[in-house]
Amino acid sequence: MTGERLNAPMGLLINRDQPVSFSFEGRHYRGYAGDSIASALIGNGQWLMSRSFKYHRPRSVLTMAGQDANTLVQLASDPNVLADRTPVSEALRVEGQNYAGSLEGDRDALLNHFGRFMPVGFYYRAFYKPKGIWDWWEKAIRKKAGLGVVDLNATAGYHDKEFLHYDVVIIGAGPAGLSAALTAADAGVSVLLVDENPVIGGALTYSRFDPAGVHADGLRNELSEKVLNHTNIRVMTEATCNAWFTDNWLPVIQGKRLYKVRAKECIVAAGAYEQHVVFRNNDLPGVMMCSAADRLMKLYAVRPGKKAVILAGNDEAYLTALALAEQGVHVAALIDMRDKAQDPALADAVAEACINIKTGMTVYEALPQAGNKHIRAVDVRAITGQGKVADQGEIIDCDLLCMSAGFMPAYQLLCQAGARLSYDDERARFEITDLQPHLHIAGSVNGVYTLNAVLADGKAKALKALELLGKAPAEPVPAVHCEKQMNYHWPIFKHPQAKEFVDFDEDLQIKDIVNATRIGYRDVQLVKRFSTVGMGPSQGRHSALPTARLVADATERSVSETGVTTARPPFNAEKLAVIAGRAFDPYRQSAMHHRHVELGAKMIPAGSWQRPAFYGAAENRLECIAKEAHAVRNKVAVIDVSTLGGIELRGPDAAEFMNRIYTFGFLKQAVGRTRYAVLTNEQGVVIDDGVSCRFAEDCFYVTATTTGVDSVYRNMTRWNAMWRLRVDISNVTSAFAAVNLAGPDSRKVLEKITDLDVSAQAFPYLDCHEADIKTAAGNIPARLLRVGFVGELGYEIHVPSRYGEALWDVVMQAGAEFGITPFGVETQRLLRLEKGHIIVSQDTDGMSHPGELSLGWAINRKKPFFVGCRSVDIVMNAKQTRKLVGFTLPADLRHKGLKPEEGHIVLRGDDISGNITSCEYSPALDAIIGLGYVGIDQADTGSQFRIRVSGGHEVQAVVTELPFYDADNKRQEM
Amino acid sequence: MTDTMVTPGDTLARSGLYRKIADAEFLSTPESAIAASYSADDSEQARNCGLCDLTPVIRTGWRGKTAAEHLQSLGYPVPENPNQALTKDSGETLVRLSRTEFWVLGSLQDMGTAVTEAARQPSPGSDCYPLFCQDSHAWLMLSGDHCAGVMAKLCGVDMRAQSFPPGSVAQTSVARINAIVVHHQVAGTDVFSLLFDAGYHAYLWDVLQDAMAEFSGAPVGVRAFGI
Amino acid sequence: MKILNCPLNGPRNISEFVYGGEVKQMPDPASCTDREWAEYVFYHNNGTGVVREWWLHAPSGYWFIAERHRVSDEVVRTYDPSELEQSEFFAAPPADVQEARQ
Repeated sequence: MTGERLNAPMGLLINRDQPVSFSFEGRHYRGYAGDSIASALIGNGQWLMSRSFKYHRPRSVLTMAGQDANTLVQLASDPNVLADRTPVSEALRVEGQNYAGSLEGDRDALLNHFGRFMPVGFYYRAFYKPKGIWDWWEKAIRKKAGLGVVDLNATAGYHDKEFLHYDVVIIGAGPAGLSAALTAADAGVSVLLVDENPVIGGALTYSRFDPAGVHADGLRNELSEKVLNHTNIRVMTEATCNAWFTDNWLPVIQGKRLYKVRAKECIVAAGAYEQHVVFRNNDLPGVMMCSAADRLMKLYAVRPGKKAVILAGNDEAYLTALALAEQGVHVAALIDMRDKAQDPALADAVAEACINIKTGMTVYEALPQAGNKHIRAVDVRAITGQGKVADQGEIIDCDLLCMSAGFMPAYQLLCQAGARLSYDDERARFEITDLQPHLHIAGSVNGVYTLNAVLADGKAKALKALELLGKAPAEPVPAVHCEKQMNYHWPIFKHPQAKEFVDFDEDLQIKDIVNATRIGYRDVQLVKRFSTVGMGPSQGRHSALPTARLVADATERSVSETGVTTARPPFNAEKLAVIAGRAFDPYRQSAMHHRHVELGAKMIPAGSWQRPAFYGAAENRLECIAKEAHAVRNKVAVIDVSTLGGIELRGPDAAEFMNRIYTFGFLKQAVGRTRYAVLTNEQGVVIDDGVSCRFAEDCFYVTATTTGVDSVYRNMTRWNAMWRLRVDISNVTSAFAAVNLAGPDSRKVLEKITDLDVSAQAFPYLDCHEADIKTAAGNIPARLLRVGFVGELGYEIHVPSRYGEALWDVVMQAGAEFGITPFGVETQRLLRLEKGHIIVSQDTDGMSHPGELSLGWAINRKKPFFVGCRSVDIVMNAKQTRKLVGFTLPADLRHKGLKPEEGHIVLRGDDISGNITSCEYSPALDAIIGLGYVGIDQADTGSQFRIRVSGGHEVQAVVTELPFYDADNKRQEM
Repeated sequence: MTDTMVTPGDTLARSGLYRKIADAEFLSTPESAIAASYSADDSEQARNCGLCDLTPVIRTGWRGKTAAEHLQSLGYPVPENPNQALTKDSGETLVRLSRTEFWVLGSLQDMGTAVTEAARQPSPGSDCYPLFCQDSHAWLMLSGDHCAGVMAKLCGVDMRAQSFPPGSVAQTSVARINAIVVHHQVAGTDVFSLLFDAGYHAYLWDVLQDAMAEFSGAPVGVRAFGI
Repeated sequence: MKILNCPLNGPRNISEFVYGGEVKQMPDPASCTDREWAEYVFYHNNGTGVVREWWLHAPSGYWFIAERHRVSDEVVRTYDPSELEQSEFFAAPPADVQEARQ
C-alpha cells in the first residue's frame, strides 16, 4: 500500500499516477515515482531506517535533505545510500545496515545501556594494551560499528569526465541563485546553475515565506520558468559541486560523470543548514528539523505526524507550525526558547491557528516509546539560565517534534577557498569574509534570510560578477538589508542521564565534547580528532556549531575565539569510480610494434613505450633470452631500438652547443663519426648518455636514453634560452624508427640492402653515414651508425618512422638466409652487461659522478665549460668513497636462490658499503655477472666483497675487470 | 592523387594505424595508403561526428627567424600570430605555432603532393630549419558538429566555437598526451586536426573512439570530404 | 587547479606546465670559489616576496619566466626569457668564458 498522502499542491516531486513498489528489509511497500526511499517509507508509517553508529539507537529522518547520516541504507550493490536523497524505483531492494539480527530487533541495541563504559577517545585508550590485542578488537569493533556492506563483485560501470567553461557558475538554485542567474544571463554571459535537488527553487520548493503560504509557489514558478527557458543558462540538477579549488576550479558530480568546471566568476548561493537543539533523546524517530517536516509535506505529500510540538529558536519554526496545522496536524504547542517572536504578526497568525505558544521554555527531554522506536511525549521546562531549566516541567504528548535552533551557512566550499567563517557571539550571527576576488556569496549563506533581501543579494552579486567580467549593465546595485535573527544563542540543555546528541553520526553527547576539553584539548580541531566529532558522513553540518559552543563555554572563551572545525573536500562522499573515471593510460608503440606481436614477443613497458622483452612464451623466459643472446654472439640478430631518444641539433653553433651540454669535446668531432656523449647536471651527477653523430658541420644527431630524452630535450632548450646560441633543437625521438642489426653476420645482411660500402675499411667502428636502404617497393633514406653496445659487430639503422615497418621487413628478409633472430630488451640488457656498459638510471643514482662510473675518459677537462663542469672538478678532486665495479659469482648460486638482485646491499664488515645495480646469469661466460657500487677500498680487481641476498644469506663476489666479455673489444671492431 | 585502391600494408610508408582500420577501403597517396571510405553514408557521419586518420597526408614545417619569409616566398599565407591557422583555397592549412615555427598541413585534394614540392625547395641559408612533423607526429582529424563536445571529455581547453573559432590552434594536453589541435574546415565541414607524437597513434585513436561514442561517432574515410 | 598565463599559449591549467626552478645567476665557474659554486648549485633563497622562476609549457615546449609571490602564490607576470639580459643568468657570459680560457 502507498499510505495516505496529503492533497495537492502538496507533493511537488511525486507523480501520483505512477505508483512504484519496492522492498525494505524484505517487506514490500508502495510509493510514487519521485518519492525518495525515506518519504515512501514514512508515507507507509515505516519510520525506523537505521541504527546509530555506536549505540545502535533507532534513527529516522532528521533533515530530509541528505545532510545527515540517519538515513543511510543499503542497496544491492551500493552501501551507505542516503534514503532521503535516493529516489525509489520499481522493484528496488533496500536493506537497513549496521545491526545484528534485524533492524527492528537489533541485538546490539543493548550497547545503548553501556554508554558510560564507552567514553570518548575510548578506542584510542581502551584497546591497545596488551600489545597485539587491537588486532582482535578491530575486527569486533568494525563489525559493530561498520556501515554498509560492499559488494565485492560490483563493477563500476562506465564513469567519465568532462571539462566545462562558464562565465558565471552559481552553486545553489534557491531564490538567491535564481535571481543571480537571471541577472547574469540577461547581461549576455554564460551561466551554469548547479543544484543537488531534482527541481530548482531551493527553499521556495518547501518553505513557507509568509503566514498565508501563498507567495513562494508563484515566485518559484515565475523564476524557474525564466531560468529553464533562458538560452544563456544551463541548469544541472541532481548535481553536487563537491569542492572549490584554486581559480574557481569546481568538480561537479552528476550521475556517473565528473564535470571539471572552470568558472570566471563563481557565486555560492548554497543556503544554510538548519540546526538542531541539543536535549536528551533528541535523536528519536519523530524528532526532526522544521524544514524536514516542511519537505515531507510540500515535496512528498507525506504527513509527518498526527500531533506535533514545535521547538523554536527563530521565527521560521512558526511558519512550520502554520504549515502543519494547515495540513491537518494537531500542533499541541509551540515552545519558543526566546522571550518572544521577532515578528509579532507571525505570532498572531500562529495564535489565530489555535496553537498554544510557550515562550522562554524548551524541550528538556523527549520521551520514547518502547525500544526508543519513536517519540511519545516531550518534557517541557522553563529556561532559567544558559542551558539551565526549571526542576519541574510539563509533559506534552506528541508523535512529532519539529525543531529549529538556527541556521548555519553552507560554508564548506568557501572555507576551502580560504574564506573565514566568523561568529558574532552577541548577535549569534555568522559572517563569511576574506573571499577570493572572483568568488561571491548570496542569500542565506551570506546571512541574508528575508525573501526580498535574498533576491536582491543574488542580483547584487551577479552585478558584481558582471562588473569583473566587464559586462556590467547600467543598473544600480540593489541594497541588501536583513535584520532577521535566525540563531538562538544557547540551544543546548544538559541532562543528568545524557543522550543529548551533539553529533548524530558518531553518537557524541554533551559530556563527550566537554570531557575532551577536560583532558586538555582546547583547540576545536584537536577536540575533533580526539572525539571524532564531525568526522562522520554529515561532516559536522550539525555538530560543528554546538561543538564550538561547548568548547568555548568549557574553555571560557567565545565561539568567535574558538572558531569551528575546517571543512575540507569533498563536500559529500564521492565514489572512487567517479574520481577514477575513464582511465587515461597513454602508451607508445613503435612503427614495428605489430611485427613484434606477430612474432610472439612478450611486451613490457619502457617509459611510455611498449617494447619486446624477448620473443616467446613468458614461462620460457630464460631459454628465450639465452637463445637470442646466442644468436647475437654467433650469427646475426635484430632489435627494435626506435624508442631510443633522438635529438637533432642544427645551426652554426651546433658544435659549440654540444660542447657546452655534454662532457666530451665535440668541436673537433669529424663529420661521419660518432662519439659517446655523457650528460651531467649542475651537481656533476651523470643524468643521461647517448651517441653523438655528426652528419654535417652544422648538424648533430644525438641519441638519449628512452626514459631520459624528454628531460634532456627540456634541459637543452632551457639552457639555450639563456645561451642564445644559433642552434635549432628538435626532439626527433618519434620521427625515427630504428633497429640494431648485431652479430658476426650483420655486415652480410646489411650489404644486401644498401649500396653503401660497408666493408670494415670503408665503414669502420664508430662511423656514421647517410645512405638508402633498398626495398622492392623503393628506397628508404637511412642513417647508419656503427655501434657496439652489445659487443658484436653491429649497425644501427635509423629511418623516418613512416618506413619503420618496411625497414623491419627488409632486414628480416635479407637476414633470413643467415638465420636472423629478433631479440628483446631483456636480452640486450644481458649482452650489454657482459660488455660492462652502464645503463644510466639503472646503474647510476642521484649521486653518481663520472669518477664513480670510471667515465673520466669521457670528460674533456681541458674545455672551458660544460654543464656541471665545476662540480665534476670538485667531486673528482675530492676523496672518492665508492665505485661502480663489475663482479662475478659462481654460476650454480642461481639454482640455490642466491643470485643477487638489483638493490641488494654490499657489506663491509657490518656496514653497508654499496649496492647491486645489475646482475644476470651470463650463458656466454657461464657465470653470474653484475655491476654494483662498492667501497673504494673494495674496488680493486680481484678483491672480494660480500652481498646480502634474499633471505638474509650472504654470498662472496669477486671484483672483475670490465668488460666481462671480449676484453679487447675485437668483436665489435671487426 | 591516384584513384587506385591499395592494401595499406603493401606500401613503403605506412600509418601505424592501418590494422585498426582494416575494414576501410584504401586509396593510394604519394607514398602510402589512406582510408577512403567505410560505408556509403560516410559524409553524413563526417558532418555529425567522424574520425579520420590523415597520417599518410604530406605535411612539413619550418622553424627559425627566417621561416616566415621562406613561407611567403613559397606562396603560403602567414598567420599573423602564434596559435593561428589559415587555410589556402587549394586546401593546405598553415599553422603558426610560435613566433618562428610554422607547419603546413597538406590538402586532401592532392594528399599533400604540393607540400612535397614545397619541401623540396631549399630553405634559405640561415636560421630556417625544416621540421620532422611528417614522421614525428601522427594526424587524426575529428569532424562534424560534436568536435567541441568530444574534446571537452579529453582536454581542459575550451574548444566551443565562441572561444575556439575556425583558425584557432591550441597546443595542449589531450587525454594526458601533448597535442596540437587545429580548428579548420574541410569541404565546408568543421574539423579539428590533432597532431601528436606518432608513438601514441593507436592510443589516441582508441581514446577518441571512446569519447565519440556518446555522439554516435565513427571512423570516416576521406571520401566523406568530397575526395 | 591553478591557472598560469603562458606568454605563448595564454591562460592554461597548471597541469600543462613543468616547474624549472628559480632563475639564478651562475657565478663564473672559472674563477669562483668552491663555496660560491656550492651555494649556486645547492642553496635556495627561501624568503618571502616575488621570485623569478622558470616554467615550461610542456605541450609546446616553451620555456618562460614567471614572477610569483611566495606568500600569496599570485603570479605577478610571465614573459619570454629573452626579456632578461644574459647577465641575469651568468656572472660571466659563457662566450667570454670560452674566449678567456682559449
